Amino acid sequence: MVIFKAVSKHYNGHIAVKNLNLNVKEGEFVTLIGPSGCGKTTTLKMVNRLVEPTEGDILINGRNIRDTDPVALRRQIGYVIQQIGLFPHMTVEENITVVPTLLEWPATKRRARGHELLDMAGMDPVIYANRYPSELSGGQQQRIGVLRALAADPPLILMDEPFGALDPISREVLQDELKSLQKRLHKTIIFVTHDMDEALKLADRVVVMREGEVIQEATPEELLRKPADDFVASFVGKSRRNDSKLLIVEQVMQPNPVTVLPSVGLAQCLTLMKRKRVDTVLVVDEEGVLIGGVSIETLDREHQRAYRIGEIADHNLVTVLNSTPAKDAFDLMVGDQLKYLPVVDEHRHLRGLVTRTSMVNAMASVVWGDEND
Amino acid sequence: MKMISFSQFLFMNSTAIITATVQHLYLALGSELIGCLIAIPLGIWLTSRKKLADYFLAVTGTIQTIPSLALLGFVLPLFGIGPLPAMIVLVLYSLLPILRNTYTGITGVNPSYIEAGTGAGMNSRQLLWMVKLPLALPIIMAGIRISTVYLISWATLAAFIGAGGLGDLIITGIQTADANFIIAGTIPTAFLAIGAGWMLGKVEMVLTPREGLIVSDEGR
Amino acid sequence: MYNIWILTVQHLGLTLAGVGLAILIGVPIGYLITGNRWVAQLVMGFTDMMQTIPALALLALLMLWMGLGDTPLVVALLMYSLLPIVRNSYVGIMGIDGALIEAAKGMGMTRWQLLRMVQLPIALPVIMSGVRVATVTAIGIAAIGVLIGAGGLGAPIWRGMQQMNTAMILSGAVPAALLAVASDAGLSKLEQAITPRGFRNIASQNT
Repeated sequence: MVIFKAVSKHYNGHIAVKNLNLNVKEGEFVTLIGPSGCGKTTTLKMVNRLVEPTEGDILINGRNIRDTDPVALRRQIGYVIQQIGLFPHMTVEENITVVPTLLEWPATKRRARGHELLDMAGMDPVIYANRYPSELSGGQQQRIGVLRALAADPPLILMDEPFGALDPISREVLQDELKSLQKRLHKTIIFVTHDMDEALKLADRVVVMREGEVIQEATPEELLRKPADDFVASFVGKSRRNDSKLLIVEQVMQPNPVTVLPSVGLAQCLTLMKRKRVDTVLVVDEEGVLIGGVSIETLDREHQRAYRIGEIADHNLVTVLNSTPAKDAFDLMVGDQLKYLPVVDEHRHLRGLVTRTSMVNAMASVVWGDEND
Repeated sequence: MKMISFSQFLFMNSTAIITATVQHLYLALGSELIGCLIAIPLGIWLTSRKKLADYFLAVTGTIQTIPSLALLGFVLPLFGIGPLPAMIVLVLYSLLPILRNTYTGITGVNPSYIEAGTGAGMNSRQLLWMVKLPLALPIIMAGIRISTVYLISWATLAAFIGAGGLGDLIITGIQTADANFIIAGTIPTAFLAIGAGWMLGKVEMVLTPREGLIVSDEGR
Repeated sequence: MYNIWILTVQHLGLTLAGVGLAILIGVPIGYLITGNRWVAQLVMGFTDMMQTIPALALLALLMLWMGLGDTPLVVALLMYSLLPIVRNSYVGIMGIDGALIEAAKGMGMTRWQLLRMVQLPIALPVIMSGVRVATVTAIGIAAIGVLIGAGGLGAPIWRGMQQMNTAMILSGAVPAALLAVASDAGLSKLEQAITPRGFRNIASQNT
């Protein structure tokens, strides 16, 4: 529906957008994301010609936007901005129906449309239609901002960090509403944000930008699984760590558990455990392959009978692969009442250890944010 | 009447022009000074009396709207002609900008500074002199600047009631249709007004306290 | 004796002529200079300078150029009224939140629609307050117009001063003062009336 063909934008020497190629399909929700100054807002504003590209073409439904009068073009495209920009001297209804007014719809049709949209957003027209923006909360104002963009039923809507200035609760609610609205009305949306959580939550496709260039263009799933480079990984990572569903074992495990070789004597092992203040050691061979585990209870029980750790190690340990989702590992520990869970790679090399403490830490970082990073 | 060149005119009338300029300054600046002596203390006094302050601001605001010729007409029957009634009118006109800026300047001081001063053990007099006035000073000075510029311009009207000043030259020029007199009255007036505005603007800038000074003053 | 009613009407007519012309010229100037900061500074600087010329001097200079009568007075009133009207139009329009302009453009308003539907309605209370200041000032200056042969309430005041006739002075001074005070109050009311409800809420939130 919207095609960017080798689009660049220069501002006297500074390159804001560099050779951008992008194809936004009809009914698709695309988010442009990146740090400030990455060119995402410039890219968005080139679509409704608030900014003119220096080079390249932008096509909407196969038609070059250069050939469309900017004013006529903008009336066919919804536009929502972060600062909301509701007109303070107009009522809610007048604000919603600005574009229909510009398009010279008859008054009765405008009115009906305004009420219809308010109803759709769950705001009773009897209460809200004649209020002024200053009489609404921030969340309600931006809800009106979104309705205003929908008023003339444009197939394409541009949104420039629309929820960036809202409190977290309103933001969450509006994101949910927007997503369901978009599905229901089958709108094409290009959405600029710097918040990865928001991008992952809303988008069908995420376009990561940096310094005017597209770094990666992928579905949220692909982006999480295969970030194109360290920049994207760190960008995604910030968000991923805050979501327990997306954590993997590798991220929550204790990387250097206490280990012993099978040839170590029991007394020596006991001394080691005392010094390290642990009640369990893992037994690994010279290559680092996990053989088994020994707990202090086993040691205590068997010390009469055996001389070397290798003889009493428990070889039937439950283990997990390092790429297992952390949630699955936690479920396993809770379900099987395990005290600990060794983490191994594909070749059974020991990578770390998940204990109940690491589980608590991981949950704490989700709830209170990660302060150790 | 034969027209003469402006330089000749200046040469012949230099004493009259200088006298008129001095008279003009005396009228305008004298009135301004009296206006300050009335309006600044009044403004300070009113800061703790909001209702009364609204009333005083409304009254001085109304005086400001009265046409100058009409105001001169009101004082003439009471005080006769000469510098005194002229200065009364000028003082009346000077009141509003000074009073308003003193009042809003002091009431607009960030409450946290006042709290800090109170916390440091200042009494209300110390609070006024050490915190409120220094912080309000730039705004008060702006009021003084605005009223001074206006008074220099309005002082030309003093000539209507025989108080002299540069207005005398202008009125003479009008009555004799002599451009030299008009220009000789107009140019010094404009320069005085612009010069006074510029100088007082500089004073205003110097008096604007830097944040650091305020903080260190609190510790004294 | 003078017919005070006729003089009052005359006085008001001269004032309205001067201020009316200033609105017709000043509001477009105020709007046009919003496009260029440098030009705006220049125009504002010029109108500021104009203001320091005493009214009496300006009347005298205009008399030399245009002769006696109502015309130089109306021109003087126009020149004095320009400053507050140009300044307030400029400030009122420039003061509008950039987000509103962007939203309006983004929705497809033409320049003219932007001006008519957004900029003017929002700046109107500020422009009106400039008109009020201009009107009150103009009523005052119109009184001095008597010196260059213009009509209005200045005549009995000036004549009365020269003849030391208190009754004659007051017959002009009282209506002139009332006219000014009433205009100020009336235009204040109008200013409030044209401020949209939504805007008043914002204003009260900010103070």
